[in-house]
Amino acid sequence: MAKTYDYLFKLLLIGDSGVGKTCVLFRFSEDAFNTTFISTIGIDFKIRTIELDGKKIKLQIWDTAGQERFRTITTAYYRGAMGIMLVYDITNEKSFENIKNWIRNIEENASADVEKMLLGNKCELEEKRQVSKERGEQLAVEYGIKFFETSAKASIRVEEAFFTLAKDIKTKMDKKLVSFLFY
Amino acid sequence: MDYELPTEFDIIIVGTGIVESILSAAASRIGKTVLHIDSQDYYGGFWASFNLEQIDKLCERNRNANIDLASDVQLNEGERLIKIGNNNFDLKNASQKWNIPEKLESKNIENVDGDKCDSTENEADNGVGVEEVWTQEKLLQDSRKFNIDIAPKLQFARGDFVELLISSNIARYSEYRSVSRVLTWLNGELEVVPCSRSDVFSNPKVSVIEKRMLMKLLSACMDSEENEFKASRSGTDFVVYKMFASLCYCNGFNVDEVVPWGQNWKNYSNIKTQNYENKTFHAYLKDKKLTDNVIHYVLYAIAMSTIDTPCSEGVENIKRFLNSLGRFGKTPFLYSMYGSGELSQAFCRLSAVFGGVYALNQNLGGFIFDAENKFKGLVCGKQVIRASNLVMGIEKSPEDFVKSVEVSYISRGIFITNGSVRDSEKEHLTLLFYPLKGGKQLCNVIELGTLTGTCPKGIYIVHMFTKQINTPKEDLEECVSKLFQSEKEDSDVKDARPQVLWSFYYSAPDTNTANLRKDAPENAFLCPGPDCDLDIDFSIKKAKEIFNSMYPDVEFLPRAPDPEEIIIGDDSDEQDREKDVEGKAEELKQEQVEETEIDKNAQGDVK
Repeated sequence: MAKTYDYLFKLLLIGDSGVGKTCVLFRFSEDAFNTTFISTIGIDFKIRTIELDGKKIKLQIWDTAGQERFRTITTAYYRGAMGIMLVYDITNEKSFENIKNWIRNIEENASADVEKMLLGNKCELEEKRQVSKERGEQLAVEYGIKFFETSAKASIRVEEAFFTLAKDIKTKMDKKLVSFLFY
Repeated sequence: MDYELPTEFDIIIVGTGIVESILSAAASRIGKTVLHIDSQDYYGGFWASFNLEQIDKLCERNRNANIDLASDVQLNEGERLIKIGNNNFDLKNASQKWNIPEKLESKNIENVDGDKCDSTENEADNGVGVEEVWTQEKLLQDSRKFNIDIAPKLQFARGDFVELLISSNIARYSEYRSVSRVLTWLNGELEVVPCSRSDVFSNPKVSVIEKRMLMKLLSACMDSEENEFKASRSGTDFVVYKMFASLCYCNGFNVDEVVPWGQNWKNYSNIKTQNYENKTFHAYLKDKKLTDNVIHYVLYAIAMSTIDTPCSEGVENIKRFLNSLGRFGKTPFLYSMYGSGELSQAFCRLSAVFGGVYALNQNLGGFIFDAENKFKGLVCGKQVIRASNLVMGIEKSPEDFVKSVEVSYISRGIFITNGSVRDSEKEHLTLLFYPLKGGKQLCNVIELGTLTGTCPKGIYIVHMFTKQINTPKEDLEECVSKLFQSEKEDSDVKDARPQVLWSFYYSAPDTNTANLRKDAPENAFLCPGPDCDLDIDFSIKKAKEIFNSMYPDVEFLPRAPDPEEIIIGDDSDEQDREKDVEGKAEELKQEQVEETEIDKNAQGDVK
């Protein structure tokens, strides 16, 4: 069977329960928004193929299947992941504080060179904001990763975030390939 | 914990071993509400894999540290609280030993190539070049790259487990690698058991003409229609016959020697029932006047038997071996990437996707039973959680339910070595059946390299296990002394065998044959732990049995739907998109099923 893509990237969504991981996933994969997901039942992963620099990139994006609630994400979930979206809710301070714990979790279980990105979701709810944009930016700088404030509901920067993550993974990969070929 | 658990479920499952996890997935899949809970903070129980630091504390970790009964819980009338967990099935006789210095004393010769030349292409250099100096410090720095199984398992490519993975669509949650060679210990040396064409071709004992004939035979075996391998009795017999024939070739026999008994072989079932009912498989092979070499290959490797194995069992084993040949890779066996501990997690993921609630590291304060000894619920922290069925790992059971369960033990040894037991250009995933005690007992040996994702580069993990007779160390001594350099330093003699850097022996409980229903209440089910088999098909059988007694006439793990794969292409119209979706689904299936062949790690590195 002919391959219909040039790259296959496995991406993960991670973050506290209720920050909108599944909604981000649906916004990106189906350009749809639905508030009726009850704690992510039946959502496994979604696929969307995008084009970058003339290459077809198949993104396989995995959801936590609710196993984040009691911090019981399996080590198997992290295997082979090339990119991870760390998601918090800008209207929920706790979810922001927990990002640190999730990063520790990633360091313990994911491959060392996994590309990470921080997303502050629900940015359309400005009136309920608990975490300022600056704090998000600062945390991202601390970990040396990129940061976006997104809204799955209002469709703000979700697309941009995934494209950026995919691009960074591809760049890293191409670099590796180059160093492999020439050194 | 900032979230409270729901307090009503259809079924509560305590423990995250394989059988428990399969049941969790199966119950969740048919719409039952499942709470899957464990007092430990890791998945897998007795089936888990650990990194190098964790395994150090294995024995403490695995014990059910006396979980106390909860006090001041509100129970209904007639209900009582029973303590969760027992210590009847603990790991025993654990002894761990480092054979390398803690740190390098002299100058630091450590090369800094860690990240830079991570490519597998450089692998070949590794064997030659300068010999790496290993220290405890160095290995512990890479602790996380280790995934050390406490119950290593291989799967038959056409065994119940693999079939279940595919039919239930759980294959997408884990990756597998095929065992690339099967070895046997013959005349004081390790020999490759010819399973494939290239094995035969690289065998120097076979002449060119024989090779050609052999290839014909083996191609017929490998390329024939699937149904020839499957079910059909005569088909299988024919394959068995051909396999025997090819084995004889490998050892320089004339095919004519084979034909007479080969003809008989075709009617082996008659032979078996009439003349060999009470005889051993070994006796049968002897009667066929095979040479010792052929008997050795067949008996100890392909039939996975000993000289005491009954004839019928030997024949069944051969069938299993050959049935699984030619599906993935060169041998009939698969190993789960990143360790056998991932096996149960795949089922847990499916359970979670279908709504199973997961909670590890929980403070379990006791099971609630009513006056009729019926399970009612459990106490977790301060919460009372109720359910109509209970499934638990045998080590989580209250003492009373398991007091008459007979336990035998498995002698296990794990070794970290600095090279393969049989050096080769490329890294192998090796299975060896080592006949102990003059062939009366088989020791299973599995050697894993870095491509399995269970250890760092340049290192191998060797697992050995056999039925326990004395202590693990004594039981495995014969095999250890043959495969590895002796621990006594004898620097004058150059020993090409790998050095054991770290060893770990322990006895693991085996409740394979025990009757687990005997003392258990009607709605509480006990799951056995790992057995001494190479594969986990027995555990699948157990899980099915328990499932059927809880939910009779309901399908066990029907195929889970693929996530709809909606491709939002730039310029594809609706129709194209639909076609694309179909194509992708098909492609995805292919990928997942055939992933074993693909060298994932190597690919990642190259990219």
